[in-house]
Amino acid sequence: MEKSIENIWKEGFLKSDALLAPKINNLYNQKSIHVIDKFKRMFKINLIAIVAFSIIFLIVSFIVGIPWMGILFFIALNILVMINKKLLTGLEKIDKGDTSYQYLKAFNLWIKKQVSINKRISTFLYPIIFMSFIIGFWFKDAEGVFLGKRLVNEILIGFPDVYLIYGIPLLGIVVVLIISVLLAIFGGRIYQWDLNIVYGRVFKKLEELLADMERLND
Amino acid sequence: MSSDFYNISILPYAGIIIKLCRAYTNSQEDFEDYYQEVCLQIWRSKNNFREESQWSTWVYRISLNVCLTLLKKNKKKRQQFASDTIHVELTEDSYAFSDENLNELYRAIRQLSEVDRGVILLYLEEKSYKEIADIMGTNTNNIGVRINRIKERLKKILDGKIN
Repeated sequence: MEKSIENIWKEGFLKSDALLAPKINNLYNQKSIHVIDKFKRMFKINLIAIVAFSIIFLIVSFIVGIPWMGILFFIALNILVMINKKLLTGLEKIDKGDTSYQYLKAFNLWIKKQVSINKRISTFLYPIIFMSFIIGFWFKDAEGVFLGKRLVNEILIGFPDVYLIYGIPLLGIVVVLIISVLLAIFGGRIYQWDLNIVYGRVFKKLEELLADMERLND
Repeated sequence: MSSDFYNISILPYAGIIIKLCRAYTNSQEDFEDYYQEVCLQIWRSKNNFREESQWSTWVYRISLNVCLTLLKKNKKKRQQFASDTIHVELTEDSYAFSDENLNELYRAIRQLSEVDRGVILLYLEEKSYKEIADIMGTNTNNIGVRINRIKERLKKILDGKIN
């Protein structure tokens, strides 16, 4: 007579080797590698997307007659990409053979360095991008005259007493300067906000993993 | 996770955790990952335990949930290697136990649906229908019918394979 499944189960587990619990080790190896690989993938895609966008924007800017904007935009974004590409090389050097904790710690340090460098870059980047918009539109051809010049001429018709510096209304210069200074001041925060939108979940996961591992080590 | 917590709150239930994890994995490596993840989740959720049920029920529930979650996550990967959603080929874990009949039973259990695997393991662990229903989040009548159906299916799969 064949054994019932209940008997097979009971008899099978009576043997001493059947229920050996594995040792709890390398608990986070796969998880940490997974989190970091995901970040690397996203980071590379992000850099490629910035390059692609800057090229498309450059072409479009020439087509619509605002080449200065496209050129400045292209240069600013590609400098940003080059700096981050260099930072990425540092990330590739982190030793996967380290323990998960050391690996994650090294990654966390790299992130902090990357964020700090990019925050500093953002102080210049956002005002440059803003200025590239202003310059781009200022030098846009409007029936043989620069758009900026044309606008100033029209303002002068309505407000002949407007004070000009090198042909630009003082008020306009002040507004542009204030916006640029604000962008420089808040550039770091804007970058952080932008960063959280793209990588927020990965960073949260990383924080959780590190917190878990630190508690485990206690 | 302190060794005290592991020794007192997990180790006495390591048996059922091992049995469950084995039913949802096909390799020693996966089994160890699942086991460790279950232990980690039990430790993580220890503060959520409100003593409305027994600690063992809580452990089973977490073990099962973790296994089902990990299985779902890995399903895509697994499908690259198998033509069907159910693994029937002989992998290294097909010989995880020294008792060949037990290996054969596990091979049969792995051919069941994910939920049925959990139900039959709890039944084989002699959990009451009420406790199984509690862990699986269903009603007792449903469990009784389901267990009979699973046993029939297992008998068919095992037909002639048991010494």
